[in-house]
Amino acid sequence: MGQKKVLMIGIKKEKKMSSRFEILLKIKANKPDLLDLPIIDETVFYEDIDHISEFKKKVEIVGGNVFESSSNQDVINQVKSLYPSTALNFSVLEGTEAFNTIDLNTLKKPHDLVDLDVLILKGTFGVAENGAIWISDKQLLVRVLPFITKHLILVIKHSDIVPYLHQGYELLKGKDNDFGVLLSGPSKTADIEQSLVIGAQGALSLSVFLMQD
Amino acid sequence: MSHSKAATLFNENEAKVNWHDKALWFVRHKRDLSAHAVKGWESLRQLGSQIKAHTLSNLDNYLIQFEENALKNGIQVHWAADGDEHNRIVHSILKASNVKKVVKSKSMLTEECHLNPFLEADGIEVIDTDLGEYIVQLAKEPPSHIVLPAIHKTKEEVDELFQKNIGTKPSGGDPQYLTNEARKHLREKFIQADVAITGVNFAVAETGEFVVCTNEGNADMGAHLAPIHIACMGVEKLIPKQEHLSVFLRLLARSATGQPITTYSSHFKRPRKEQKMHIVLVDNGRSVQLGRPDFRASLQCIRCGACMNTCPIYRRSGGHSYNATIPGPIGSILSPGKDLKKHSSLPFASTLCGSCSDVCPVKIDIHKQLYKWRQIITKEVPQPIVKKISMKMMGNTFSKPNHFKKVGKIARWSLRHIPKSIINSKPNIWGKERDLPDGPKESFDDWYKKRKKDEQ
Repeated sequence: MGQKKVLMIGIKKEKKMSSRFEILLKIKANKPDLLDLPIIDETVFYEDIDHISEFKKKVEIVGGNVFESSSNQDVINQVKSLYPSTALNFSVLEGTEAFNTIDLNTLKKPHDLVDLDVLILKGTFGVAENGAIWISDKQLLVRVLPFITKHLILVIKHSDIVPYLHQGYELLKGKDNDFGVLLSGPSKTADIEQSLVIGAQGALSLSVFLMQD
Repeated sequence: MSHSKAATLFNENEAKVNWHDKALWFVRHKRDLSAHAVKGWESLRQLGSQIKAHTLSNLDNYLIQFEENALKNGIQVHWAADGDEHNRIVHSILKASNVKKVVKSKSMLTEECHLNPFLEADGIEVIDTDLGEYIVQLAKEPPSHIVLPAIHKTKEEVDELFQKNIGTKPSGGDPQYLTNEARKHLREKFIQADVAITGVNFAVAETGEFVVCTNEGNADMGAHLAPIHIACMGVEKLIPKQEHLSVFLRLLARSATGQPITTYSSHFKRPRKEQKMHIVLVDNGRSVQLGRPDFRASLQCIRCGACMNTCPIYRRSGGHSYNATIPGPIGSILSPGKDLKKHSSLPFASTLCGSCSDVCPVKIDIHKQLYKWRQIITKEVPQPIVKKISMKMMGNTFSKPNHFKKVGKIARWSLRHIPKSIINSKPNIWGKERDLPDGPKESFDDWYKKRKKDEQ
C-alpha cells in the first residue's frame, strides 16, 4: 500500500514535469524571433496641469469624497461627524487610539472583521490621473481590512501625489511588498442593466483626506 | 448552430436587441471620452502592443523567470497543458484539504476550461462572486460578454432570478436593492469559503507577483479570507517587469468601461501568514497559436472587451450567438485556432469595418486576422452550396467588365420597375428587414464618363 502510494506520487510528479517541459518546448519552437522591448518615455504623456486638483477631480469621478485636513485629530473629528454612531471603528493614525473600538492584536481571524464600520488607513502615494491610492501590507496589518470595512477613509499627503501611474511604479521600484493594492473609489458594479451601483462586495464608501506636509 | 442562425434567434426580441445595441455603444462612447482625455494615448497603445509582442517572442524564458520568482515568494506553481489538466490540478488541491466550498472571482480561463461543472460533479460548491457572473450562474448560462457577463439580461429577469434563488422581494428590478441583497448573500459565502479561486490580469516575470483587477472587490474578499488562494492564468498573461504594469493599467479600464482605472488593482506577491497560494499556468492551445505568424498577435489580448462594445455585429447578435468562451471579434480569431470546424462561422460574423482594431488597446489587427481566417476556412471547411455558387458567379461577373455592365443595367432597371413584393422576396436576404433603394438611372461609370466629357 505504502509503496503503491509512493509510486502514484512519482507518476503524478513526472506527469507534472512533463507538462511543464512540453509547454516550454512548444513555446520555444513556435515563438517568433526576439523583438525589442520598448523603453517607456514618460515625457510623451506629461501635461502642464495642477496634479493635486486633478487628483481631487478623479477621486470624485470614481465615486469618492475628498476632504482637506490639518492634523490626525482633525481627520478623526471630521470622520466622527460623517459617521456619528458607528459601533466598530479602527484607525492607524498616530495619536488617535481613542477612536478605536476594536483591537487588531486580539483578532483571531480576518473573518471577525465582517462588521467593521469605519476604517482609517494611510496611503503611500496617490495618482492624479486616476484617483488611485497605493496601500501595501506595511500599512494594512490585515489584508482584508480595506475591502471588508463598510466605510473606508484614506489619508494622504499633498506631496505624495504623483501625476501618472508611471511615476507611481517608480516609487515602488525595489520595494518588497508582499501585497499591495491601487485603490480608486468605493466598490461598484453596473452588472444589472448598466446602472451604476456604489457598494458591491467591497467598501460602500471612500473618503480621501488630504493633508499638508 | 452557426453564428447567423443563433443571431437570428437573438433578433426575435427587437426591443431587447435595440437596448443591447445602445447599452454597448454607450460603453464604447465612454471609452472614447476616457481615451481621448489621455495625452499620448496612441503612444500608450504602441507601448502596450510592443511590450506584449516582445514578451511573446521570449515567452519561454519569461515563464521560467516567473516560476523561479514565484517559488521564491512562497507560491506553488503548476503547469497545465490543457483545460482538463488545469481542472485536475485545481481539483487535487481542493481534495488535499478536503475542500467543500469555493468562491471564485471572474476568470475567463476557468470558463474556457469548464472548471465549475468539473468541481460540482464531485460535490464541491463553486460560487461565482462577480455580480454579473453570479447572475449568469443562477440562470445556468455562460457569460455573454467578458467584462459585462450579464449584459443580455434585463433587470426584470434578474429580479425574478433573485426571488427564486436567494428569496428577495419583488422589486421591479431595482438595481440598488438587488445589488445590496447579493452583497449580503455573497458576504456569507466569502466567510464560509475554504478556497478562493481568482483569475490573473497580469503576471510579472521580474518579481513573481500577479495582479488582479476588479471593481466589486470580490477577488480580494475571497483571496484575503480563504485559507487557500488559487490563481489560474493563461501563459500569455505574463509581462516582463513591474514598471510595465503602468502601461497596461492605464489602458485596461479606459478601454473596457471608460473608467480611469478599476477600483481595485491588487498585487499578490506572497501568501499571507498561514495561507497557501497556488498559481496554475495554462497552455490549452496558446503555444500552438504562437506558432501561427498570422494569428499570434491575438495572444496580446488583455481582455478589455472594447472590440465587442464597438462591433456592429456583436452589439446586434449578442454574446451567446458566438457559442464560444470569448465572444465578439477577438473571440472570433481565437476560437478557430482551437476548433476550426466548430467555430468556422465566426470569422464571417464581421463587416470587416476594422473598428475592433482601432479601439484595441494593444493594437491587435483583429479585422485582418478575421479576413485571413476566412481564407483558411473556405479552403478547409465545406461551405454551403448556395454560397459557393454565388461566389463563383460574383467572381465571374466582377472579372468581365462588359458582363458587369449588363448585370448592373438589369439590376438598376429591376429595382425601379419590379414590385417590392418580388424584390424583397425570400431568396433575396438583402431585402430582409430592409428596403433596397430605388435603382439609379445611370451607373457610376456612366456618370463618371459624362463628367469627364463635360470637363473638356
